[in-house]
Amino acid sequence: MADDGELPIPAVRAIGLEYRYPDGKSALLGIDLEILPGEKVAIVGPNGAGKSTFLLHLNGLLPGRSGGSGALHAHGSPRAFTSNDSSSAPSLWIDGIPVISRNLIEIRRRVGLVFQDPDDQLFCTTVLEDVAFGPLNLGLNRAEAKLRAEQALRRVDLLEVAQRMPHHLSFGQRKRVCLAGVLACDPSILVLDEPTANLDPRGRRRFMQLIRDLPTTTIIATHDLEMVLELCPRSLILDEGRLIAEGSSRDILSNQSLLESHGLEVPITLTYQRDLELRQRPIV
Amino acid sequence: MSPDPHECFHDSLGLLNRLDARLKLVFAVCFVVCVVGTPAGWWKLLGLESFCLALLIGMAGLPPGRLFRRWLGFFFLVGFVSLLVAPRHPARIQLGLSGVVLLTLSKNSMAFLMMLLLAGTTPFPKLLCAMRQLGVPRTLVTTLQFMYRYQFVLIEELGRMLTARRARSFSPRGLPSWKQLTGSIAMLFLRTIERAERIHAAMISRGWDGTVRELDA
Repeated sequence: MADDGELPIPAVRAIGLEYRYPDGKSALLGIDLEILPGEKVAIVGPNGAGKSTFLLHLNGLLPGRSGGSGALHAHGSPRAFTSNDSSSAPSLWIDGIPVISRNLIEIRRRVGLVFQDPDDQLFCTTVLEDVAFGPLNLGLNRAEAKLRAEQALRRVDLLEVAQRMPHHLSFGQRKRVCLAGVLACDPSILVLDEPTANLDPRGRRRFMQLIRDLPTTTIIATHDLEMVLELCPRSLILDEGRLIAEGSSRDILSNQSLLESHGLEVPITLTYQRDLELRQRPIV
Repeated sequence: MSPDPHECFHDSLGLLNRLDARLKLVFAVCFVVCVVGTPAGWWKLLGLESFCLALLIGMAGLPPGRLFRRWLGFFFLVGFVSLLVAPRHPARIQLGLSGVVLLTLSKNSMAFLMMLLLAGTTPFPKLLCAMRQLGVPRTLVTTLQFMYRYQFVLIEELGRMLTARRARSFSPRGLPSWKQLTGSIAMLFLRTIERAERIHAAMISRGWDGTVRELDA
């Protein structure tokens, strides 16, 4: 915790974050950013921009190296994550803690990652077991883990399905259970990869309401720009592994030329507002 | 959501549903061992065992049609295998070829029906819990857990792939050709490997370190 009068320690800080896939393709080309505690930030960009790759770094699932040539690592393989390369310094910090191999347990305690496909994240036979998976791994005993899981399910309004099997739930319910599974670990940073993808409008609104009510630092990678306008005061545009722009969501998402040059479009809400303003302008 | 048609468990008011899962599991395994261990030619004992099985199936309240359909699929497979092994079976001299085939079919069918009965009267999570409590290695139980959980996902994925192929094929036949089916299975295998990597990443991201920990004792 920073002293009075000083800036708070950033929840996320990246300096020259780079990553290359095992086939040699560069995914991240020197990302520099800071996200303060409590912020809700959206990361937007076209397909293949590196959004998901960046998110995997936040949880320590992928390593990052600053400097020219990053070491090649197997995608998603923690075994390949070593800090033996003395020429590279850490390039990512979570709550001031460098994301290096000896800190991974603490990093994963602080960063909760909700994956895009709920079937990748729900692997236990019942909902309650799945939500309790994280707390059990954190070292809580069975009674405490069960209590945490029930509290998390209550937060997402799904306590009644605790004993059901995940494949009996609707897609929207499975998404909410995934969120509960991460909230049960009480992370200080919540990271969501395309949280509203494939949700019907009601499921989407319900999920957005859940995110809106959370006090944690929230980072959302998404194509749902309407959701960004509603939930995230700040946005970052990623394209081809580079941070192209960052700023207030309203300013970023109303910049038509910027958005279109990076495979995005101005959200309908802002387009209508702009048209309305143009029509109301007095004729001179 | 309605129950999956690939589910074995049948939520009925049958007597067996209420029994402890551990008791049912131990009984089922003992029954199978008894059936397998019944000496060749002891038809009366086999008849008694099949009568007990029929009685239990009646008490369970399972839909007989569903049991029969599942047994039929198994029957063709084990029938084929029994025809292959019968000529060299040690009991062939005593029972004759047809006797050996009948023995193999009846023993395997009874063992299979007993396992269907167990699966039909016990929710799978309870069965896994019973296995853990009875000392079955945790790694094996966790493997079974994953197998059960993801069979539904893979069946859905295979169904979508076959539907997509059918939509782009111009053959009047409803069934996929062998080439289409094997191609789809190969693709499903590759997708399964990719999904396994993502599942592993999801487990690690929630602090998993390789140690199996369960909520139930």
